[in-house]
Amino acid sequence: MDSFARLLHLSPPLAWMALKLLIVIGGVMGIAAVLTWVERRGAAMMQDRIGPNRAGVKGITLLGLVQLAADGIKFFLKEDVVPPHGNRLLFTLAPALAFVPAMLGFAVIPFGQSFSSGGQAYHLSLLDPGNGMGMLYPLAIGSMAVYGILVASWSSNNKWAILGGMRSGANMVSYELGMSLAVISIFMAAGNSPVGSPVTLEAYDPHRIVEAQEGLWFAVRQPLGFLVFFTCMFAETNRLPFDFAEGESEIVAGFHTEYSSMKFALLQLSEYIHIVTASALLVTLYLGGWRIPFVPNPGVLLSVAAFLAKLLFLCWVFVWVRWTIPRFRYDQLMFLGWKVMLPLSMANLLLQAWLMHGRGIA
Amino acid sequence: MGVIVKKVELGWLDRTYVWPVAKGMAITFGHFIRQLLTPTARRFTIQYPDMKREVAPGYRGLHELKRFEGGAIKCVACFMCAEACPARCITIEAEEFGDLNAHQGFEEKRPKVFRIDMLRCIYCGMCEEACPKDAIWLRNDYEVADYDRLSLNFGKWDLMNTYASADGKAVITQDPTPAVPRRTIAV
Ligand code: SF4
Ligand code: SF4
Repeated sequence: MDSFARLLHLSPPLAWMALKLLIVIGGVMGIAAVLTWVERRGAAMMQDRIGPNRAGVKGITLLGLVQLAADGIKFFLKEDVVPPHGNRLLFTLAPALAFVPAMLGFAVIPFGQSFSSGGQAYHLSLLDPGNGMGMLYPLAIGSMAVYGILVASWSSNNKWAILGGMRSGANMVSYELGMSLAVISIFMAAGNSPVGSPVTLEAYDPHRIVEAQEGLWFAVRQPLGFLVFFTCMFAETNRLPFDFAEGESEIVAGFHTEYSSMKFALLQLSEYIHIVTASALLVTLYLGGWRIPFVPNPGVLLSVAAFLAKLLFLCWVFVWVRWTIPRFRYDQLMFLGWKVMLPLSMANLLLQAWLMHGRGIA
Repeated sequence: MGVIVKKVELGWLDRTYVWPVAKGMAITFGHFIRQLLTPTARRFTIQYPDMKREVAPGYRGLHELKRFEGGAIKCVACFMCAEACPARCITIEAEEFGDLNAHQGFEEKRPKVFRIDMLRCIYCGMCEEACPKDAIWLRNDYEVADYDRLSLNFGKWDLMNTYASADGKAVITQDPTPAVPRRTIAV
């Protein structure tokens, strides 16, 4: 640890940034890749099957993990079909449009406890606290992800695809509202940092939000909001039970009907990255970020481990839910979004406001 | 035709949606854990090339033409099986062979050619039923596959040796007694 600290002091801030970038991008991509494996093996296990376990090099299958490499190679070697009447430029751009926002959301998430070394504070999030965007940034970027899907569906010039894109757009609009209201009650509860703390953080700064969960996690303090936000995250990531943007049984494969080869792989991967980002948001907002219950100051390594554990668990829950709940019908989804989630989240907002008023805060 | 529509009244707990989801997730998790803890050999999936299904007694698989201990074929070329076969996949050509033995007496018939086209056979077991000599029967080898059609046209020696290694019997490729040349009967 000492030599690491010396290295930190000697290196320019850029190197520290680069290291964080490496950790975050590598970590997220790695988790997303492994998640595809977890999804397939997990699905198999839940259905009393075995799942992919045959691909291997000289009989070494690593529990089926070699399948990932096999899939990657397969995607690279496949023919890349572009529909002749589609918009070629947008068609090529769409996977990137889906991929990048999913990745960007991670930029402000604190994935470990900040530490100071040599009179300098180091924060374990790509953007340091007090950047003025805070938690609003991943929410804003997260809604951008629907553009990837919409562009993909539009540029395919395919009826199934456009239906899928339309559904996805409607889905996103309906659930974004409830989600945002749930997050607002978090901001309310977090409140600004008290005057006199080293850095004054706005209520919507993720570091402040994690700080505010010192005693009790927000999931415990605002169970209703947690439920709403959790549900909306499934809608946001286009996962079952809200995956009707692809709905195989109805509209072939929805927005990625026309996609093949690496473009398809990228769309698929962006879904998994979206899961990782959504889990990170959930962890930060509701599950105490890097905090460990009853341990006030876990330290860098332990806090990162705690964050990772929560993140992985939530990713697993995403997989778990997918193989449990069937897809909603379109009207049921709208019903749930507008008539259940929105009122619930408003009620949560009012309840929290009332509680805060009762405690005499603001 | 009347259709009975069952109206299910959901309690308030079930209508919250959250509780049924929790129940469902408990079920899937139970399956997950159970499958995870079951050793591979006891899982439902039979991982085929490594593990093989144990067939039930009476299973109808690949045929065997039975032989006497001396190696003589039991079949007497009576054509009953070819007649009974619904897929018409048995081809028999008979020949005579001269030998005085305890089982068949002197001058008997046996197949010179006995072919079953395995691609046409439906493994119905009718040949086994029809055979008066119990000379043909279906056993439990189900791995009948090959790269070309011709190899699946099983001949007499293929059929006599299909289970030779499984039973520890010698592979034979020749009748113990020679055939007698066909006699022309002067009328
Ligand atoms: S099993 Fe049936 S189809 Fe096959 S050879 Fe015998 S009678 Fe013919
Ligand atoms: S196998 Fe049996 S039924 Fe067929 S020809 Fe030989 S003796 Fe007759």
